[in-house]
Amino acid sequence: MKKILEIALGIVTSVGGFLEIGSIATAAQAGSDFSFQLIWAIVLGGICIIFLVEQAGRFAAVSGRTIPDAIRERFGFNYFAFLYLVLALVSLIVLAAEIGGVCIALELGTGVGFQWWAIPVAIVIWLVIWKGTFGVIEKGVSLLGLVTLCFVVGAILINPPWSQVARSALPSLPQHDSVHYWFVAVSILGASISPYLFFFYSSGAIEDEWNEGYVGINRIIATGGMSFGSGISIAVLILAAMIFAPQGVKFEHYSQLPALLVPVFGYWGYWLIVASVGIACLGAAMEITLELAYLTAQGFGWNWSENQRPLDEARFSAVYIIAIILGVLPIVVGLDPLTLTIFGMALTAATLPVSIVPFLFLMNDYSYVRIYRNGWISNAVVLVIIGLAFVLAVVSIPLQIFGGS
Amino acid sequence: MELMRDCLDKQLDDRNKRRMGRVDGIILEIESGSQPRVAYIELGVKTLVNRFSTRLAEWFAGRIQRHGIETAPYRIAWSNVKVGLNNVVADVEAEKTPALEWELWLRKKVIGRIPGA
Repeated sequence: MKKILEIALGIVTSVGGFLEIGSIATAAQAGSDFSFQLIWAIVLGGICIIFLVEQAGRFAAVSGRTIPDAIRERFGFNYFAFLYLVLALVSLIVLAAEIGGVCIALELGTGVGFQWWAIPVAIVIWLVIWKGTFGVIEKGVSLLGLVTLCFVVGAILINPPWSQVARSALPSLPQHDSVHYWFVAVSILGASISPYLFFFYSSGAIEDEWNEGYVGINRIIATGGMSFGSGISIAVLILAAMIFAPQGVKFEHYSQLPALLVPVFGYWGYWLIVASVGIACLGAAMEITLELAYLTAQGFGWNWSENQRPLDEARFSAVYIIAIILGVLPIVVGLDPLTLTIFGMALTAATLPVSIVPFLFLMNDYSYVRIYRNGWISNAVVLVIIGLAFVLAVVSIPLQIFGGS
Repeated sequence: MELMRDCLDKQLDDRNKRRMGRVDGIILEIESGSQPRVAYIELGVKTLVNRFSTRLAEWFAGRIQRHGIETAPYRIAWSNVKVGLNNVVADVEAEKTPALEWELWLRKKVIGRIPGA
C-alpha cells in the first residue's frame, strides 16, 4: 500500500512539475504557426525525457550517487568544468525565463508591468528555498502545479479533429517557413529534454534516500509522470492550433496566453491561465535554482541538502542566492521573457550532448550501476534523439537569428 | 589501486563523515634510486586550475593573492588517507583545516547574518 501511494504521489508530482514556461511557450508557438504539425516533436521529446529521467533515478538509486558527482569522478575536473560552465549558463537563461513567466502571470493578474514583479518574485523563490525542505518544493509546489491540467480539460472540451492530432504524432516535413519550423521543433525538444529536470530528479532520489528497491517504482514514476506531463504540452499545442491558427494569429507575446482558455472556460479561463503559468513557472524556477546549487556543491564535493539548515551548508546556500540574483537580472532590465524563453530552449537543445553523452557512459559502467546497466534500446533511443536535436539546433539557430527562411 | 581512477576527483570526507571537498591533486615524491611514492593529496583552487594550465594557475593565484587571500593548496599526508569504494576518508577534522575556510567565512560573515539561517 505504501509503495502504491509512493508511486501515485511520484506520478502526480512529476505531472504537476512537468509544465514550465518553455513547454507552454514552445507548444503555443508551434500550434499557432504550424497547427497540429509539430505534435511529433513533443512526442519525441517526451520519449527521450522518459528514458533520461528513468535512467537518472535508476543511477541514483543503485549507485547512491548523483550525476554531477559521478561525472566529476569518472571524467575528471577538466570535463566537469566545461560541463559546469555550459550547464550553468543555459540554466541561468532558463531560470530568467521562468522568473519572467511568474512575472508575466502577475502582470496578467494585476495589470502592473512584469518588470516590477521581478524582485518580489526573486524574494519569494529565495524564501521558499531558504525556509522550506526538499519535500515542500518537490511535492507542495508540484501538487499546486496540477492546476495545469486545465489545459487538458480545455483541449478535450474544444473537440479537435482527433484523427489529425494522432497523425501529427508522426514527423512530417514543413509546408512553409521551413527554417522557423525546424527552429520551433528544436525549441520544443529543448523544453522537453531539459538537463535540469533529470539532474534535479537524481538529486531528489538521494534526498529521498532511494535504494535498489526503488528501481521498479522509479520506472513507473518516470514513465507515468513524463507521459502525462507531455500530454499537457500537447494540450497547449492543440488549444493554440484550434484557437490561434485558424485566425492567423501568431503567438508573439505572453499577453496572448489567456486567449487559449477564455474561449473554453470563459471568465475563469483567464484566471486559470494566470494560476497555471504562475505556479508552473514558480515551481520550475525553484527547481532550476536548487539544481544549480546541487550541481556546484556535488561537483566540488561540498555539503549539500535542501533538508539542512542554510547555516550548515553555507556555500550551497550562497550558490542558490547568487543564482537567483543572476537569474532575475535579465527580467529587471526588461528583456522580453518570450524571446528569452524560446532562445533558452533552443540553446538547451544545442548543448544537450555535453551533459547527456557522459551520462550515457555512466549508465553503462558496471562499477556504478552493476546489473542495472542500460540495454541497447535505452542507449540507442537517447543517442538518436539527442543527435537529432543537436544537428537541428546547430543548423536552425543561426538561420533563425540571421533571418533566413 | 589505480590512483587516477580510484582516488583523484573522489569525494573527500573527514573522520566524522563531513564532506570536505574532492581530491583535487595527488603529490608523488620521487627520490633517486627508489620507486616513486604517494606523499600527499591536495585540495584547492590553485591545484584545480593547475590541471588546465600551470601558467594560468600562477596567474590566477597571483590575482587572488593581491586581495590577501591565501591560495596555497591544502595537503593531507597519504598516511592519513584511506581510499574507499565511494569516497576518500581523511583522518582529520574538516572544520579545523583550511579545506573549509570559505565555508566557515561564508557562514560567519554572510549566511549567518541572514535571518532564519
